[in-house]
Amino acid sequence: MKDVLSLALVHLATAVRERITLFWFLIFPVFMLVILSLIFGQIGQEGEISFDITLINRDETGGFSDMIVTLFEKLAEPQANGQEPLFSLYVPNAGEDTDTFLIQEKAALRRGKRAAVVVVPSGFGETLAGGMATGRQDTASATITIYMSHTSVASEMATEIIEQMLAEVDRELLIEAGAFDPADEIAAQTIWLGKQGEETRYVDFLLPGIILMGFFTNGLFGVPGAILFNRDQRILRRYWVTPLSVPRFLAGFALGHLALCAVQFAILFSLGRYGFGATVSFLRPAAWLTLILSAVTFMAFGFLIASLARTANAGMAVANILNMPMMFLSGLFFPIAGLPPFLMAIVYANPVSYLANGLRVSLGVESSTMRPVLAIAVPLAWIAVSVLVAARRLRWDVER
Amino acid sequence: MADTVLLQVIDLVKHYGDVRAVDGISFEVDTASVFTLLGPNGAGKTTTLEILEGIRHPDSGEIVVFGDRMNRIGRAVKQRIGVLLQDGGFEPYLKVREILRLFASFFDHPLPVDTILSLVALEDKAGALVRTLSGGQKQRLAVGTALINDPALIFLDEPTTGLDPQARRNMWSIVTDLKETGKTIVLTTHYMEEAEALSDFVCIMDHGTTIAQGTPEQLTQAFGEETMIEFRGDELSEDAIEPLRAWSDGVRVDGATITLSISNLPAAMESLLAWSRERAVPLDDLTVRQPNLEDVFLSLTGRRLRE
Repeated sequence: MKDVLSLALVHLATAVRERITLFWFLIFPVFMLVILSLIFGQIGQEGEISFDITLINRDETGGFSDMIVTLFEKLAEPQANGQEPLFSLYVPNAGEDTDTFLIQEKAALRRGKRAAVVVVPSGFGETLAGGMATGRQDTASATITIYMSHTSVASEMATEIIEQMLAEVDRELLIEAGAFDPADEIAAQTIWLGKQGEETRYVDFLLPGIILMGFFTNGLFGVPGAILFNRDQRILRRYWVTPLSVPRFLAGFALGHLALCAVQFAILFSLGRYGFGATVSFLRPAAWLTLILSAVTFMAFGFLIASLARTANAGMAVANILNMPMMFLSGLFFPIAGLPPFLMAIVYANPVSYLANGLRVSLGVESSTMRPVLAIAVPLAWIAVSVLVAARRLRWDVER
Repeated sequence: MADTVLLQVIDLVKHYGDVRAVDGISFEVDTASVFTLLGPNGAGKTTTLEILEGIRHPDSGEIVVFGDRMNRIGRAVKQRIGVLLQDGGFEPYLKVREILRLFASFFDHPLPVDTILSLVALEDKAGALVRTLSGGQKQRLAVGTALINDPALIFLDEPTTGLDPQARRNMWSIVTDLKETGKTIVLTTHYMEEAEALSDFVCIMDHGTTIAQGTPEQLTQAFGEETMIEFRGDELSEDAIEPLRAWSDGVRVDGATITLSISNLPAAMESLLAWSRERAVPLDDLTVRQPNLEDVFLSLTGRRLRE
């Protein structure tokens, strides 16, 4: 047993001392955690996102147009909880020519400095009031213009929000005018899928993905790297002239690899928890089992690559080619849906997809998108294939 | 089998497709002796050794070691042998002491790591990463791993290839010391000087077979009472060399070096000086010496050991 433990310790020590391993093992996952939570972490958290909106009111009669302006101003007020308001409003100064101001603000919109420019036309209130008085809606003359930019995500989102606001105003006005009875409204109830109780924060969705990514790159690069380098450099050969057998070497290597995954988990989890405020708890047995299954699957996958490559360099090349598609077509970092069929085929063959979903389901941060049986069967199938191929094809530089 | 024979190899064969790497070789190694497999690269020395080390298995043939007869070397024998591979590597990010501890863990009865460190004079480097070691230090570490189980039988495959002269001398004294402590050593080399300096018994191999065996003295005495004369003769024509054959037993032209084997030295010297005056050959680097293993190999194969 001491040979197995020694080999495991040696594997750990080497991995921690080697800079390139350390990069894949720690720096890259941390980098992804930081970048992705910065990009996607803001979305869906009201108040923490803010749009720059220009509002030009050309209607001097007040009334309805004032109501709309007030609505915008309300959304631009500082929030009680200290968060940023939804809108930052830009309005023409008193006495400023609105035409010049509009041209200037449209230019700002094109440059991405504004999310939307909203113009309330002159006579808006009168037209609307007239329409209400006659009991019919004359939308053609009571029109608010929204300028937006298609090149900006913020602009699309802001426009959507403004349109919803106006639709709500419209509805209220119709009810006021007696032209619409809320009882006639088509009943609609919105049910969000993928949420169990309270809303999941992005970092809680992301952290399990990052941890799996760490395990994945660890297996994909670490296993063929270590095995093939050790073989090519004749390091293994020195072991084979001692009583050490290949199975015992493998036991030591696997133990060291899983210990490395455990260290990686501890570091990434602590960072996610204390650095990024993740609240997700990994203390459930199902989560533990999924993590172990993942580490083993990716380790087996590494052996598969080692079996198919002739040299350490070839092994790294194969790992590099597989790395990106397998990582991104798996839902590790963001939910996947609506991909073209040939990409979905990769998603469904990819063991990472099942493990990522399985882990998140077990953590309660995502609903199941895969059939539960498959979530275990597909990774197990990959392990079986990898072990079979490695047993037949992996050269150990020793006749057995 | 005599009590003194520790290892006996009987008609060992190993073919790779059409390549007859080892083609039926047999030899015996006495306890507490240095046995050398001498031959050019590709003669089958390393393959023979790898079979004896248990990392290759022969197609046929038998091995008798420590009194047991077997077809292949297994774990029990590996517990008792030490191996220095020709081209083995070490994990560059491990420390010297960690490597020795790792190898110690593979054996049932290892020596203490500190004993090995002092044996191979690496006490100062115990905490150094392998990647910072010099070539000679790495080789000493390799010797350390080969000795960690206090083996009775040690295999050294090309132990000095690629080492500088100083490191080579160190290795030679390690081999001599080991022999003095009663270890049995089997080594391969393609350096004639090394075989002569270290060996009690030499087995000359070529093309997977044994072409001569004996003590270095026995082998060189195959040349009888011959003496060798060697000199440099740049760009001599066949016409110029022809007269030498009249009074010497053999003439070899090997690049710029001309070697004559002769039985009567005074007479030969006179004839050589006469020839040198007549042809205006300066006889640069003229040497008179006894025959060596290189001469034996050359006379048997017509080729040099290192080509």
